Amino acid sequence: MEEIILRTEDLQAHYILDVYGKSKVVKAVNHVDLAIRKNEIYGIAGESGCGKSTLLKTLVAAVDPPLRIVGGKVFYRMPTGEVDVATLGAEEKRRLRLEYIAYVPQGSMSVLNPVTKIKETYQDFIESHLGAHMKQDAFDLARNHIIELGLPPKILDAYPHQLSGGMRQRVTIALATLLGPTIIVGDEPTTALDVVVQRGVVQLLKNVQSNLQNTIVLVTHDMGVHVNAADRIGIMYAGKIVEEATTEKIFGQPEHPYTQYLINSLPKFGDKTPRESVPGSPPSLAELPPGCPFHPRCPLVKDICKETMPGFTQIDRDHKVACWLVGEGDHGKAA
Amino acid sequence: MKLLRDLFRDYRFALAFVVLALLVGFALLSFFSPYDPTVWGEVPRDMRPSAEYWLGTDSNGQDIFWIATFAVRNSLIIALIAGIVSRIIAVSIGMVAGYKGGTWDRVLMFFSDSLLVVPLFLIIVMLAMLLRGNLSLVTLGLLLAFFGWAWDARLIRSEILSLRERDFTQTAILSGTGTARLVINEYMPYTTPLIFATLINNMAWAIGLEITLAILGLLELSTPTLGTMLYWAISYQAILLGRYYWVLTPIILSVLLFIALYWLSVSVSEYLDPRTRIQRVGAA
Repeated sequence: MEEIILRTEDLQAHYILDVYGKSKVVKAVNHVDLAIRKNEIYGIAGESGCGKSTLLKTLVAAVDPPLRIVGGKVFYRMPTGEVDVATLGAEEKRRLRLEYIAYVPQGSMSVLNPVTKIKETYQDFIESHLGAHMKQDAFDLARNHIIELGLPPKILDAYPHQLSGGMRQRVTIALATLLGPTIIVGDEPTTALDVVVQRGVVQLLKNVQSNLQNTIVLVTHDMGVHVNAADRIGIMYAGKIVEEATTEKIFGQPEHPYTQYLINSLPKFGDKTPRESVPGSPPSLAELPPGCPFHPRCPLVKDICKETMPGFTQIDRDHKVACWLVGEGDHGKAA
Repeated sequence: MKLLRDLFRDYRFALAFVVLALLVGFALLSFFSPYDPTVWGEVPRDMRPSAEYWLGTDSNGQDIFWIATFAVRNSLIIALIAGIVSRIIAVSIGMVAGYKGGTWDRVLMFFSDSLLVVPLFLIIVMLAMLLRGNLSLVTLGLLLAFFGWAWDARLIRSEILSLRERDFTQTAILSGTGTARLVINEYMPYTTPLIFATLINNMAWAIGLEITLAILGLLELSTPTLGTMLYWAISYQAILLGRYYWVLTPIILSVLLFIALYWLSVSVSEYLDPRTRIQRVGAA
């Protein structure tokens, strides 16, 4: 088995809100065990509001109230050994960001400071890691990096609003990869783009990954992006990972009914029958149904589904599912 | 140079700059004054404008032209002290309250709100009465600075509150930018037009308040400022006696000063905001 670079252990992150004196708990990340390997692109897929972005926040250790980690741990594999993120101090976390773990935001209008030129943003970010006395070095580094990624160097002199959406997204990817991080975390990096530009951006991400030989965690609800980019995919539903497998297996033999719906809803060439979507709507993370959270929408629901959450069943080496239809779930637990 | 050329393309900036430059030059003339501004009776009283006394002389026996140069200089000094000191207070309090939030925000905004709700003018008048004897230019500037920061601290706080929630803050933090660097490098450029505009507004406010206090006779009246000049002109009934050159000199100078400061503030804040600059230049 390859080296595991980023690992979560029974991670639970909840939004603890105080609504008119009543406390309300939104279980956005609910018992998640991830093991993300070195040199792979790991996709996390799921509907809006299933906790994907919250999971990302906990992975980059940007947990601010009302979000709280109520259980479990996140581990980074550093050259010196495995480190529990919760034990890191603020300054250590600050240093790790961009150098060890970098974040690619969705390249919308506001992810770059609108009143500074791209090169100033680059310089600021570089200097906060290399020290403030290297203004010229920082600029050269940014310029070489931009050229390396095949972007025109003159964008460095532009303001964010002068760039197109696709260009802005590429700039944010270039920004995240400046210092050659070990892990890159992408939060829906292709969502606001049209399909042609999406392809270019996915290609850029893949190029970066194969150059740096690092790990990318890609969160998006767009299965088309996943099939193009990801090596392995975790399907997330209501704050839990319900199925995890290599991309071919997720698309070829999906086992969880939810995954099956997701895959079957994708359009195919030559097939004109209407696509079936998942019935119902996603549950509120504040009031999860008992048992398997998917049971109210599941067409194959059994009695046990309404009472207990199934554990993971290991179908083969790279494929695990948490569903009573598949197995009892004696190989590790999900609930 | 390119910066100045761009700025001068705006007629408001060009005009305001020229007027302000003339006024500053006028104020600098005070260093070459043949008379001591604190001494009365150096020239004959109540002379009409003539070749010798360009703007005439006043009833205290002072040359109006030369006393006006001192008045503009002193008023500008008060305004600059008040403006800059209150900007420093407003920016630091606004940024800490906005970025830190929580208890910091509540405590700092308690002070600024207290200053906002008390009747400022009455308190300044009272303090000016108490301090009158030692109210030099610097102490008056500091007094006005102390009362002039509250609105702008709230303004800057609200700007920071909004910036804090924007995505680029997340981008910066998750790229390892520390708090101080984030606030100074990322937020400062955003708030600079605001700070500059409030600085100039605050200077105009300080000059206005200085004139008000002087007309009420609450300043040290032997120091020439735009306000004390008006005070003497009014108390000697310059309007009734038809000595318009006396009363109009400080009025016209202050009007020019206000207009220049206002246009400068509008034009510079538009220039510093790249979004409106793009619209103005017409580039994409």
